[in-house]
Amino acid sequence: MNVIEVEDVWKKFKIPHERKNTVLDAVASTLSLFGGRRSTFEEFWALKNVTFNVAERGSIGVIGENGSGKTTLLRLIAHVMKPDQGRINVNGRIAPMLELGLGFHPELTVKENAVVFGTIMGLKRDQLKGRIESIIEFAELRRFEDAPLKTLSSGMQMRLAFSVAVETDADIILVDEAIAVGDMEFRRKCLSRFKEFKKEGRTIVLVSHDMNLVTEFCENALFLSKGEIVASGDANDVVKEYVRRVESGLASP
Amino acid sequence: MLEHREVIWILVKKDFKIRYRHSALGFVWSLLNPLSIMTILTLVFSLLLKSGVQNFPIFLLSALLPWRFFSIGTMQATGTIAGNPSLIKKIYIPRYLLVLTNNLASFISFLMEFVALLPIMMALGMTLTLHILLLPVIMIIEFFIVLGISLALAALSVFYRDFYQIWEIVLQLGFFLSPIFYDPNIVPEQYRFYYSLNPVTRIIESTRKILFYNTSPTTLDLASPLLIALLLLAVGYIVFRRLEPRFAEET
Repeated sequence: MNVIEVEDVWKKFKIPHERKNTVLDAVASTLSLFGGRRSTFEEFWALKNVTFNVAERGSIGVIGENGSGKTTLLRLIAHVMKPDQGRINVNGRIAPMLELGLGFHPELTVKENAVVFGTIMGLKRDQLKGRIESIIEFAELRRFEDAPLKTLSSGMQMRLAFSVAVETDADIILVDEAIAVGDMEFRRKCLSRFKEFKKEGRTIVLVSHDMNLVTEFCENALFLSKGEIVASGDANDVVKEYVRRVESGLASP
Repeated sequence: MLEHREVIWILVKKDFKIRYRHSALGFVWSLLNPLSIMTILTLVFSLLLKSGVQNFPIFLLSALLPWRFFSIGTMQATGTIAGNPSLIKKIYIPRYLLVLTNNLASFISFLMEFVALLPIMMALGMTLTLHILLLPVIMIIEFFIVLGISLALAALSVFYRDFYQIWEIVLQLGFFLSPIFYDPNIVPEQYRFYYSLNPVTRIIESTRKILFYNTSPTTLDLASPLLIALLLLAVGYIVFRRLEPRFAEET
């Protein structure tokens, strides 16, 4: 059984030339009040015909230049967005670590945020108490547990997000550049936690520009360019292909 | 929805904390607001205009409290999606839960306000009768009205950022177009039908029957807002579901 199945997925975005998102604008452009301006936009395919599977106990790295569709792909897997075409199947609970954070609330304290997001990620009330302790422990935020999140540095908030994600029994963890933040010590801790994950047979989907990380944690990789899969398969081979293209100037537009 | 009950409960608590965190007086503020409106309107209508309604404060409060739930509930919920881009973009949670829990927090505030103001209303001469047992039914019907409208507003304001301002104006007009500080019988016969289209009119009238006139609302008083509530809920839900797939792209 596959943990993640992505089948012929297409995702389109609209890039408005001039953003119109008020009722006033909509009415004005319909009535052509102000010189008949109409809102125009370009269509842009962020993902084209993307197909791949992640087998049970497998992990996959996603590489490619900025704007190649990596984050969009993670968002689709996380159900945050829906594909325009194609099908995505996920078997298991997901802990998303998208763009450094979980969407914490700045006014709530560290502990309160941990409770809210632990619950959203599926922790039950009886599990929560012990887990909150280990989340705060892992994030090394004991001194700040009752401080509003907004008073913490971005690195600290990041640590909290990471800790919530790893302490919630997710079967699949989506990591988007997250471990780039955090100091060396915390990074080391995260990586060793990832190793445990792998041993336990959990799935990691890792988006990174750090090729060593990709080859270390993922047996397979996916190389995206302009929304299309350029290469996929064994992580070492895909990384080699990526490096070759970058060096010969092919990977960037 | 049952599978989400723990998430719902946590999110309601979160909403509540955020609402009252920033003021030392916290909940007291939400009592001072209706009390000050009551005082000023009583002065204007009883003393200056000599409106002739006996015990005007009760007459007013019995309408003001459900109106406040309607206006605060829908206003607060309008920004739950558009004002939460980090949550919408980063983690999946059935999005209607954000609107529902926001409404629930408003509802609990409303109940607390009501319980806290009850002794004041009794001190001002209200008599408590058994008719009050019907009040929860009316409150729940109003909750569904608020939820239906909130779902539509929350979804639409993702795409039209000025919806909040528009709704603010609608509510301001609504305050005068609802029988809050006057008796609906003063509305001329030929406008009655349009007047009764306002979904909160009957809610207010029924609440006032119980708290001010000491009678029970009729079956029609309950059935017609219930029907409106279910209709609004259906429309709100459909609008919300239609727009939901693009929330993460537009917030």
